Amino acid sequence: MIERWALVSGLKGDLDTYELIQKDLKKTQGNITLFVLGDIIGPEKNCNRLLHRLINPKSNDLQPWCIYGWWEEQILLESGYRGDQRAEALRINKGEEVVKSLTNAVDKSFLDWIAALQFGFVELDCGLIHGSSKDIGENLTLDTPPLTLLDRLTRLQVNRLFTARSKKQFHLELTQGTVNSEVEDLNGNRKKEQKVPQKAVIGIGAGKNYTLYDVGTDNTQFVQAGYKSEKRIKGFGML
Amino acid sequence: MNQAVISCLHANLPALEAVLKDIEFQGITNITCLGDLVGYGPQPNEVIQLIRDKKIPTCQGCWDEDVVDGLDACDCSYPSQLAEKRGHFAHQWTTDKLTKENKDYLANLPYSIRKDKCLFVHGSPNSQHEYLLPDMDAFAALERVENARAEILFCGHTHQPYIRELADGSIAVKIKNAAPKDIQEKEIQLPMRRIVNAGSVGEPRHGGTKATYVVHNEVTNEVKIREVEYDLELTCKAIIDAGLPPIFAWRLKNGFEFAEQAEDASHVCER
Repeated sequence: MIERWALVSGLKGDLDTYELIQKDLKKTQGNITLFVLGDIIGPEKNCNRLLHRLINPKSNDLQPWCIYGWWEEQILLESGYRGDQRAEALRINKGEEVVKSLTNAVDKSFLDWIAALQFGFVELDCGLIHGSSKDIGENLTLDTPPLTLLDRLTRLQVNRLFTARSKKQFHLELTQGTVNSEVEDLNGNRKKEQKVPQKAVIGIGAGKNYTLYDVGTDNTQFVQAGYKSEKRIKGFGML
Repeated sequence: MNQAVISCLHANLPALEAVLKDIEFQGITNITCLGDLVGYGPQPNEVIQLIRDKKIPTCQGCWDEDVVDGLDACDCSYPSQLAEKRGHFAHQWTTDKLTKENKDYLANLPYSIRKDKCLFVHGSPNSQHEYLLPDMDAFAALERVENARAEILFCGHTHQPYIRELADGSIAVKIKNAAPKDIQEKEIQLPMRRIVNAGSVGEPRHGGTKATYVVHNEVTNEVKIREVEYDLELTCKAIIDAGLPPIFAWRLKNGFEFAEQAEDASHVCER
């Protein structure tokens, strides 16, 4: 049986989209594991029905494995789950109204569940996170310098990094590379050549755009919920 | 023109005086300090006062930060519970000894100092608690310098002086899962960058007892590690007289290489 991961993010309270994805996945071949990489909540919609569904899946639902994302971090900050800090970045960038909308969109009874979510999962040699291994709010895209991508992979000690924050869908491989290092200390000099191991960063999309990952073949499929899967056409931006 | 970079003074006045004398002897007037003025050692106020009197630009180290803000490093900073206990004792002792004026001075130190192509930090551009060890992953080391938009990164924190040059780097990338016409491969050339660790004036951990610092020639870019002898007995006696843990004196006297350093020193404390 083919083992596949379905990687979803940015639902932001949209139960209809989640149901559409669940419906898609029932028709998808293979043994599917569903990961929800954060931004389950957001300020635009009441999120309680989606949260209830994720916590209490229907009998024929695929069990969702969830982590927290940027919007979850904001509500945890604003609700006092991070000590004295509050969601100041959100307040400054989006205004008080959005902060209020976010806290109104989520019933307080769900906050403990959100607070118990993990920062990410490490499955096999893959890291599944919302932003990056440095910052939950970091956007990794095709335009991110490869040196930065390599660092974010190295921090998690993984070969593949699935990220959601940028909302983009892409599969970028770091195929080869090298750097020469020369160290001089009180014991003398030593030189070393370090090579880039083959690694990849995968943007999984957001909302209706999600990703299927075939664990056996290392292939990704970028999918729009409700439509047949499609191979995304993407070019390099400014690398 | 030469500049001297000193770090990790750790309240060791005889060591600081000896190093400043050595710098003066070479005719260098441009000095930068990378923090950790206090902690472990017996003369925190005296060391701060000397740095202030000499008007030496200084970054805030992890000890300087913790003495002001309270201990906020996670357990990863220490190799054992006993070492952690000793560290906490030294923290409390230092907090009690420091004058309000000197605490305010430490509180207002910058995280980093930038001079043209040089960036000066205590641990790394990410954190005062991150160790940039001489043999850490070369790409990760290069990323620290490059993302800080520097050509030379001066750091301390490890108490082991070194000069590391990262050169002739490249990374090749390829977009997978795109239409055939959009599948692109590119090779990105990486810039040559250097990391210079100044070691420690007041608590060397390089296997010897001498204080270390570095001298950088801003014209030729040459960097030299300097070792300086100081009156070790004086500091050790002051540690014992102050009631600080005797092991602090013992390791100074023996040049204990791995004193109080966590097993995974590359771990980034998330606090």
